[in-house]
Amino acid sequence: MSPEMVSAQQIASELNETPPSSAVSLQMSVDNYLDVIRGVVDLFANKRQMDTIYVAATISSDAIKRVLQALDIDDSRVYFVDCISHIMLGATATQQDEQTTLVESPTMLENIMLKVEYLIRRSQSKDKLVVIDSINSLAIHNNNWILSEFLHVLVSGLRSRDAYTVILTVEEHSTPELNNMVSLVCDHGIHAGKKEG
Amino acid sequence: MVAKTAERDRCVTGVEGLDTILYGGIPRSNTVLLTGSCGTGKTSLALEFLMHGAVKDENSLFVSVTENSEKLLQNIIPYKFFDKSLIKSGRLVFVDMPVMYERLGLTKAELSMEEIELLVNSLASLAKELQTKRLVIDSITSVCYKLKTSEKIRDFILKLSKALSDLGCTSILVGEVTADSASYSTFGVEEAIADGIILMANMERRGDLLRTLQVIKMRGTMHSRAKYVLDLTPVGVLLVPLLKGGSTG
Repeated sequence: MSPEMVSAQQIASELNETPPSSAVSLQMSVDNYLDVIRGVVDLFANKRQMDTIYVAATISSDAIKRVLQALDIDDSRVYFVDCISHIMLGATATQQDEQTTLVESPTMLENIMLKVEYLIRRSQSKDKLVVIDSINSLAIHNNNWILSEFLHVLVSGLRSRDAYTVILTVEEHSTPELNNMVSLVCDHGIHAGKKEG
Repeated sequence: MVAKTAERDRCVTGVEGLDTILYGGIPRSNTVLLTGSCGTGKTSLALEFLMHGAVKDENSLFVSVTENSEKLLQNIIPYKFFDKSLIKSGRLVFVDMPVMYERLGLTKAELSMEEIELLVNSLASLAKELQTKRLVIDSITSVCYKLKTSEKIRDFILKLSKALSDLGCTSILVGEVTADSASYSTFGVEEAIADGIILMANMERRGDLLRTLQVIKMRGTMHSRAKYVLDLTPVGVLLVPLLKGGSTG
């Protein structure tokens, strides 16, 4: 029997308790990705009519859009910073459009910050949510020093703009160094992985 | 108690990151050399500086030397803050330098000292007539090619800076250098005379090419000397600090 997972509703409830400008570390299991997406994007951001800026560093924005559609989640307020499609060199149908901005490579961390900044400025909604999916994927392409600096600069900037930040960590692929790096910049942690015991 | 020094009036560029780097903007009436290799965003930044000025009712003048201004406008980034009526109303004026050369009879490959004087006076008169508060010459390097010697270039830039400064006009002279240049200007003179130097560059890091901006000097204000990464977007130039972790450069 598989371990019991934290539900989408529980994730949304915990996020709802955090004030604007919070940075939240969301540690999940690979098996819990769909609940995390539903909890963060649908039950938290969409319900509060918040624009979501989704930094896709694990799978392409196109694939995430398909996930959202499959879960019947409205994606009209979700804007993607896609760091994956460009390096796949045409293997994905993702095109740059009003909702999708492409970054050439996950190593271009400054460009990720610039695209997030651009989307924040363009956003009309009062509150905004930025999701980093995931720190583990960014760690494949970047060393811990630069990644740590990136998180610090990004999260500080988002705090000053009263935006929520949710940093996804996949527990099966994480390391103590990565966990420390994320907890250093976050003020709340949500464990949405496998329940202990 | 430490005595306060007189704070210079600022020309707020409107490029948020740059104004932060400059502690509020370019000191008014300064002449700034905006230099860098091709494709680094110099023209876009200079245009944005003028557009923000025009939006704030400051008359702005773009002197195009290398590119026909009509073509330039066709290729412009569709800025959210740009209103074409600013051109119709004369708040933002584009002048093509080759047309000016022809009208002044400056058709020779090399200008004499008298002709330089005539060119400076003509540009200053135009700025005065239009009540210009912001001016861009894109590029000063192309003008310098017609001056040839260091003495003439020094004379031209000094006189022009003085004339524009006297009008209370804040100016950006766009300079072109090669990517491997160790100098901030082609002739080595422009950088010494300018009140400020803003360097734009393409920086390669692990195969990625990043557009960077760095303020090297700016008379009349404190400023950051750090390197920033920039992006040209429809909401204007955006800047973030260059991340240093793991970099050896």
